[in-house]
Parts: sequence; structure tokens; C-alpha cells
Amino acid sequence: MGEYTLLTLLGIVAVVALELLWARTGIFRSGRYWASIGIMVFFQIWVDGWLTKLSAPIVLYAPDEISGLRFPWDIPVEDFGFGFVMLTLTIICWIRLAPDREAP
Amino acid sequence: MDSWQYVILLGACLVLTLPLELVLGARVYRSPRRLVLAMIPMLVVFLTWDVVGIVREHWWYSERYVSGLRIGPMPLEELLFFLVIPVCGLLTYEAVGRVVTLIREPGRLAFRWPDGLVRVAPAGDETTKGTVELHG
Repeated sequence: MGEYTLLTLLGIVAVVALELLWARTGIFRSGRYWASIGIMVFFQIWVDGWLTKLSAPIVLYAPDEISGLRFPWDIPVEDFGFGFVMLTLTIICWIRLAPDREAP
Repeated sequence: MDSWQYVILLGACLVLTLPLELVLGARVYRSPRRLVLAMIPMLVVFLTWDVVGIVREHWWYSERYVSGLRIGPMPLEELLFFLVIPVCGLLTYEAVGRVVTLIREPGRLAFRWPDGLVRVAPAGDETTKGTVELHG
């Protein structure tokens, strides 16, 4: 397995564990969170699609370090895991820092 | 222009999400301390991940489409990416919350600077001062 694929899977497990075992913000049961993720994935497709298009790539990937699954267009599927972890981690921290949040 | 493609793309993300703050009232930029603190763990993890990805050659960048400015092994654009995109994510999350609130709240929909779209009590109430009423 490519290292980027492996790191992406580890990242997903880590951020899910962080939420369920420590942060407990409840985002995974929140329609607001999933709606936001849906919107962000929609826009990621345009931005990341532009960055990774094989006709004129801005970012290039080592074939050995990715699964080779590139969809939609030429986006390595790992990028969606990378984005999910990045945005979920940020939202978890943002919620934990809410001024009206009661101390756990 | 080609060497600014990545920067322009990130700039477009900031411009397109600005109405989430100014019209929908996301209050992300207006919570600077909370914003900075919320970004720190993500920045530590993802700047590390990105440097690992570059050093171990998981990915690299077309010289044609980046400015050439670097911080260590990392193109400046990549640092900007980790500042811009998570802010766009928080704006989205807050805007979704605002939209849900606006749908549920009673009152007339109005635009009030700098709050953005708000629900206001019927005319005569003090809170409607300085508010532009939206009809329909």
C-alpha cells in the first residue's frame, strides 16, 4: 500500500477516535456537520479537480504512493480523506472553543 | 499569470466564501482568537504531514503553476492552502448553522449591517432600527 494511502487511512481513524474518545462534540450525529461536509466535498471537487488534473497538474503524485483510484476527474481518492480529516479536526477544535460551551 | 494559478485559486476561495461571513453572519473572521486557537492543532498535524509528503516524494508541484516562493521544502501556496481552506470550512459550518436558525426563527427576514441576514420582530420594535427590510 502507498504511504499516502496509509497515512490517509490512519488520519481518518485518528480523527474519528479523537472525536469519539475525547472531544465528544457530537458532530457525527449532527445534520449540520454532515450538510457542511457535503457542501465542502462539492467545492473540493472543483478546487482539487483543478489542482490535480492530469492535463495540466499543479500537484503531481507518485504513482507508488497512491491507490491509483482517481475520481472524479483525476483527483486521487486519498485527497478526500485528507480533506475530511483536515476539516473535521478544525471543526472539532472550533466547537470545543465555543464561548457558550459548558466545560465538559 | 500561470505561476500564480495556485494563489489565484486560493484567493477565489476566500472571495467566494466572504458572503458567508458578511451576508449569512458566520462570525468566523469576527472571532479571531477562537479562529486562531481552533486552527493550531490542524496546522501542526497538516504542515507536518505536508512536509513528510514532500520530503518522501508522495507529491510535488509543477514549477510552472507555483510562484517559486518557498518555506523550507514547502511552496508558499501550500502554507496558504492550510490557512485558507480550513477557514472556508469553518465559514461553511457556521453558515449552515445560521441558515437553519434563519429558517426556524419567526419574524421578518431583514439585512442589518454588520450582522447580515437576521429575523426581526414586527415594526415598532427597537431592534428594527437601521435595518433594511426585505419584502417577499
